[in-house]
Amino acid sequence: MKGLLAQAQAMRERWPGFEVTSGLGPRSLIWIGDLKGLERTFRVWIEYGLPIPGRHLALFRQMPVVRILSPRLVPNWEARDEAPLPHVYFDLKDLTLSPLCLFDPERGEWSHACLIAETTVPWTVDWLACYEGWEATGEWYGGGRHLAPESRRYG
Amino acid sequence: MNKIVSDLPLGAMAPLAEILLADTAIKVELPPSQYMIAIERYEAVRTYIEREGSPLQGFVALFYPQGSMAIGATIRAKRRDDGYDIDIIAELLLAIGTPPAVVLDLMFKALRGEPGSRYYDMVKRQTRCVTIYYADGMHLDVTPSILVDQQDLRRSNIFHAKPGVPHDDKTLEMNSHAFARHFRDLTPVDFLFASAYAKRAWLADAALAKAEAEGVPPHSSELGGKSTSVVALQLLKRNRNILYQPRTSLRMPPSAMMSCLTAEVAVPGRSIGAALGVISAHILTSLEQARASGNLVDVCNPKCRAERFTDRWPENLSAQDLYIRDLRQFQVQLAMLMDPARSLKEKGDLLAAMFGEQPARDVIRDYNLRIGQSVQSGQRLIGAGGGVLVGAPAVAEAPVVKPHTFYGTRWPSR
Repeated sequence: MKGLLAQAQAMRERWPGFEVTSGLGPRSLIWIGDLKGLERTFRVWIEYGLPIPGRHLALFRQMPVVRILSPRLVPNWEARDEAPLPHVYFDLKDLTLSPLCLFDPERGEWSHACLIAETTVPWTVDWLACYEGWEATGEWYGGGRHLAPESRRYG
Repeated sequence: MNKIVSDLPLGAMAPLAEILLADTAIKVELPPSQYMIAIERYEAVRTYIEREGSPLQGFVALFYPQGSMAIGATIRAKRRDDGYDIDIIAELLLAIGTPPAVVLDLMFKALRGEPGSRYYDMVKRQTRCVTIYYADGMHLDVTPSILVDQQDLRRSNIFHAKPGVPHDDKTLEMNSHAFARHFRDLTPVDFLFASAYAKRAWLADAALAKAEAEGVPPHSSELGGKSTSVVALQLLKRNRNILYQPRTSLRMPPSAMMSCLTAEVAVPGRSIGAALGVISAHILTSLEQARASGNLVDVCNPKCRAERFTDRWPENLSAQDLYIRDLRQFQVQLAMLMDPARSLKEKGDLLAAMFGEQPARDVIRDYNLRIGQSVQSGQRLIGAGGGVLVGAPAVAEAPVVKPHTFYGTRWPSR
């Protein structure tokens, strides 16, 4: 498992534009910075905490939680694919802040041994690039798969 | 950190709008496979006109492309989207005083031939040319000409003769051959751009891909070689066509005027977007200057002053004002298209408004396919501040991004 210091160090080196602050709970961090998918800049929030016994249900302690702060994601209920938003864990309090689903947990694509700077952030770039296409056409070109309906929601 | 070592035209680091503009131009221009078909037809027509028994046997001195075909700026037809108009000059060895109707009728007879012959049911005598209509939508306009002066090569007369209106017959002086050379001289090819553009055009040509698969060798030496000025001119002509499609009773600003003004400000090394900005501004300024003095714009062939490119447009000040408004709108749209803060959706909507819905839809779809495939296959780099870079050269310092699969819930009602 990578410690928070190692995560913060790797983020500072690879993504120096991101600012880091303490997270909302113990042993957690939040990074906020700008990322492009294609050309437009998005403000991105990444929250991550180390697993703590008894608090394992919090999503950010299972995986880095990525939300897009601005410009707001635009739900499209008429989209041919992935309506109303593609590859997110729906946040029912505010759909536009739904955490992105960037990897398949069942395939072990991410673990606490991974560096967020080398996985979560470039995967967010991929998601943003495909989101731009989805927003333009209502079609998702990035591939992926889904877990069963309603088995995971957030918020 | 990723380090991208090169920034080629239309490469991974090119602005998004530049890629979209190039791909739009490729969607509306004469594709390489159609170019090859046009060349074959051009050769076939020349041979046919000179066949034994033709009324023009032994009278054809030269056959050459004119207009957009001669400067590599052919786009889909003006008021329809199903084909291309190819303009050819047939320089005839006839006496300089031959009446216009006689010249045009001779050309019509030579092309039409006998009942049952190759072009018999495909040709139509027009006022200034004879048109051959092909089933795939291509039109070949063959304009007969007669050389005026052996010392001033290709300065020629062409003829206007409307059947049934003989008092309107007239002879017009022109030198489209010299203009095409003048245009090409002023719009030199930027090799790096031309290579990148030609590669995209070939890859986008489905018919060519099929021909190659069947082992038909392409004639690569005859293709490619475009400058950004020519691509920008094609896009401006397309924009004009889209805007004038519903204005069925109005004449359009002539392509020759647009080509002439394009050549005046062409500079190699510009991006397509920059060339579009400069060329549209120059045309706009030319029209506004004419209007400021209460005149209609007057643009002549710089290689043949008697040939006025604006002889039939603008007919009046309101026709001129209409295109001034169009060009102002185009400049606003172009600035929005080039703005990196605009979403792909906004850029797609702008492309549709500027160049038509079908090419815009195809360009956005193809772009998304490339992005999606590169993300799914991992064949992309990630820029320093983000940004998926497709087609960037492999760089040793670039970290390999671990493969991943997008995941998540579906909305329950779906």
